[in-house]
Amino acid sequence: MATTTHDHVSGPALQHHYDTPGQQKEAATLGMWAFLVTEIMLFGGIFMAYMVYRWAYPEIWAAAAPHLNTPLATLNTVVLLVSSLTVALAVHAAEVGNKRQLVTLLLVTILLGATFLGIKFTEYGEKFAHCAGYASPLAWATGGERLGEAECLVPGKGFLFPVAAASAEGGAPAAAAADAAQPGMKSPHQLFFFLYFCATGLHAVHMVVGITVMSVIAGMAIRNKFSPAYFTPVEIGGLYWHLIDIIWVFLFPLFYLV
Amino acid sequence: MANARDIGHEGGHDREGSYGHIPVRTYWVVFSSLMVLMVLTVAAWYVEKHFVQLPEIVAVGIAMAIAIAKTALIIYFFMHVKVSSKLTQIFAVSAFVWLMILFVIVMGDYMARGWPPARGPLTQAPAPRAAAAPVSQGWRAL
Repeated sequence: MATTTHDHVSGPALQHHYDTPGQQKEAATLGMWAFLVTEIMLFGGIFMAYMVYRWAYPEIWAAAAPHLNTPLATLNTVVLLVSSLTVALAVHAAEVGNKRQLVTLLLVTILLGATFLGIKFTEYGEKFAHCAGYASPLAWATGGERLGEAECLVPGKGFLFPVAAASAEGGAPAAAAADAAQPGMKSPHQLFFFLYFCATGLHAVHMVVGITVMSVIAGMAIRNKFSPAYFTPVEIGGLYWHLIDIIWVFLFPLFYLV
Repeated sequence: MANARDIGHEGGHDREGSYGHIPVRTYWVVFSSLMVLMVLTVAAWYVEKHFVQLPEIVAVGIAMAIAIAKTALIIYFFMHVKVSSKLTQIFAVSAFVWLMILFVIVMGDYMARGWPPARGPLTQAPAPRAAAAPVSQGWRAL
């Protein structure tokens, strides 16, 4: 066994059960990819459900999707794409051993991730404020302006798809047909918003995890844990971040650009 | 940037974990392409909403083609698959093979059963509905 040839001191750059730093990095990268494959399958289930129901109810999708905030989502797409660039550049900075640049880029990435979540929070807040009868989250907090036409797009008992919008866009006949086929299915539009909250919610959870991972890595970078010979956490943390970006690349057109 | 894989041998420990290097300029080019694709997908959506009526399947096809192009750029360059070992590349591709198995078998099953009978982007005229299943059966009737 090759282990008998080891004469190095065990450390993060080369742990005792690996022959070479390259082998160790290879193992870490491969392990991360195996995990990412399971993540893709996790979201794959949601995309599968999306495909089936959009196939079955295209007119409901057409009526429901305009109620999402496309401008905010477009802004979020830009934020995430920029964060992917900063992560890619951070990995490069680690590769060449530029600590200052690495830390800066990681902090910018965390900031962009937080921005994404902030925008997402505003978007969700709008939906919940409407359910509470207020025009906006701010009005809800301050007891300000009330919502004109009643609507509640958060799935649940209070769900109420605005009638005018439903009939104007051909959603009403579908709703009537769905109700005739299955009494008690109050609004088929709920399906769209249920998938919307599931998909973007799970994605947001991944963003929180991603920001945590980036914070830990930034902390390690500040404490001089990385060198051009060893920066595997930056590399595989970056892989995770890019995956979150990829998921959003699909969520964006599927929910906001119907 | 010589591709180390071509000159090195795959199993050698000296090559492991280091198969090449992606220059910073490439990252910027990839990022610019991603932004252009992002603008394209929003523009296509806007045009199709306000000016040109496209069949839904074409519109979704355009959006998905752009999303897949963006994904390919991110995976190949940002996620370093271009400069990874063959095994890592196989892992990366395998994710999409599994996804395709999921999508193809499930959708194949639904379509083979003729569900939904009157809907779907490929169905132009409503097909006659089969006798309605008893309400008590609910979704299981599908």
